[in-house]
Amino acid sequence: MTALDTGSPATAADRLAAFAGALDDCHERAVPGGVVVSPAGWAVASVRRLGDGAPVPDGSGVLAARHGPRASDAAALGTFREALLELHRRTLRGVLDAAVARLDRRESEGVPLLGRQLVRGSVADVALALSQARDVLRLPRPTAGRHHRVHRELVDAGRTALKLYGAFGFTAEGPGGLLHLTELLGDTYLYPEGPEDPEAEAGHE
Amino acid sequence: MSELLPERAVLLRDHVREAAAGLRDAGMEIDRDPTAVDRWLHLPAVALMRGCTVPVEYVSSPLRIGPYTYDMSSCLEHTLTIEELSYGDAGFMLACPGPLMSGVAVGALGDDKQRHAYYQRLAGPEPTWTFFGLTEPGKGSAAAELETALTPDGDGFRLDGAKRYVGNAAFAQLGVVFCRRAPGPLGIEAVLVDTETPGFRAEPIPTVGMRGARISAITLDNVRVEREQILGYDTLKPSRRGLVGAIRTLQRFRPVLAGTALGLTRAVLDHVRAERPALAGAARQCLDDLQDRLDAARWHNYAIASAIDAGEVRADRIAAVKTRAAELAERATLAAAGLLGPGALLRDPWLHKVYRDARAFEFMEGTGHIQRLAVFQGVAKGTFLP
Repeated sequence: MTALDTGSPATAADRLAAFAGALDDCHERAVPGGVVVSPAGWAVASVRRLGDGAPVPDGSGVLAARHGPRASDAAALGTFREALLELHRRTLRGVLDAAVARLDRRESEGVPLLGRQLVRGSVADVALALSQARDVLRLPRPTAGRHHRVHRELVDAGRTALKLYGAFGFTAEGPGGLLHLTELLGDTYLYPEGPEDPEAEAGHE
Repeated sequence: MSELLPERAVLLRDHVREAAAGLRDAGMEIDRDPTAVDRWLHLPAVALMRGCTVPVEYVSSPLRIGPYTYDMSSCLEHTLTIEELSYGDAGFMLACPGPLMSGVAVGALGDDKQRHAYYQRLAGPEPTWTFFGLTEPGKGSAAAELETALTPDGDGFRLDGAKRYVGNAAFAQLGVVFCRRAPGPLGIEAVLVDTETPGFRAEPIPTVGMRGARISAITLDNVRVEREQILGYDTLKPSRRGLVGAIRTLQRFRPVLAGTALGLTRAVLDHVRAERPALAGAARQCLDDLQDRLDAARWHNYAIASAIDAGEVRADRIAAVKTRAAELAERATLAAAGLLGPGALLRDPWLHKVYRDARAFEFMEGTGHIQRLAVFQGVAKGTFLP
């Protein structure tokens, strides 16, 4: 459970701290008391949980990363990936809801920006992506490839959502920092292994 | 692509390319500490940025390459310069002293005396940072709706209001502030403001990326403005002043910004090729597709910039090339992270930096939504698609 579910925390620092706590919950679900290590040997968690490692170079200071030789087992990775995607989905949902509220308050030529068709279309696009991601993640027999595809769609939807914020989406106080961390975590943990070639999955539509 | 450019442009491009070759380390340092540009002011790239759009008669040693002399008043040459420097590092380029957008506004609106004073200062021995203050907290960059007030006060005026998302403002010595002297579109003015004037305050706004842009928030509290600081006040009709200046500056600068995005994109694709020389199959196709889009966008951007130099300013096409370039930069950085494999953003600090930087182009010089409206106008008028 993150603060994003129950009304957004007041400041960007609070939101980032809540996100780091939610990421640690994902680790706890997969490896109680520990951290999940990606197949490429990376572990990313809150600074407190990881204990050592370097700060993730996004400037927020809430997450740390460590590289080591031993990846977590497939069961732990599977559990963690599902939890991570759910966190990504919840985070993006919070960003979308906040965008809608913000655009309803901001006016241009005396009319709320939320009334603009381009804006409404973008809101709908993000909502459709969230809805589809939820349904795909409910399918039986999850695979790493499916997880990666859902992640990519959520990244694209997140970029669409950030455009609703204009320059504010690029500030440390805005939602861009949070969504950047979801992208970075997916880049770290959500690559398919085995027969699915990650390079074949590269590129975004 | 050289065959599409006149000889003097090719020589300039090659010269700037050389100057941009060593900018990555500086760019990485500026990403960590945006004040670090002060330690790199000796670089040739900084001299180029300081001289961009400053007329040659003000410069002690203007840029000469072969038989040609340059001041980058040409939109094409300005665009090429910025694209090449952005290939080196876009954040570094934006952190540099020099006229950037304020110079275009002063050139478009200022009278002889105003231009002379401005260029003399920019060409002086000390590096001078400038800003272009249009965007406001509540209204974005909708110039016609701006609320910063220019109020008569004795034999001059006072300036009150706020600007937001203004590059370099917290570090600048002077800049242009767009403000409202009277209601309606003819009531907008552009004022040259010295940041030492009492009542002027600017603070950096921390950002996710492109930290070299040093995006800032400005507060204007009873800032004294003399009549001679209002650009074109004594020489231009109100219909040719503030709002026109804002629009002309943005139009003239959009290909330059597109060049910034395309320079970054080219650097990203070259980086992928260097790191993964043996890409094959779908990955190779992905890279080839991005390269095609990049080549097409660069060619188109040069054509747009050349058209501006010829006096043909087409808002729909300018909006389109800026949008294409901004979206391509995002697409390329997302794809690069995928092509370089799991953990690339943690493993490759430079990639992580440009991945964050690339998102800035979407809102700089007008968001994608605003640009799309301009493209639509072109479609509706039958001017956008030949």
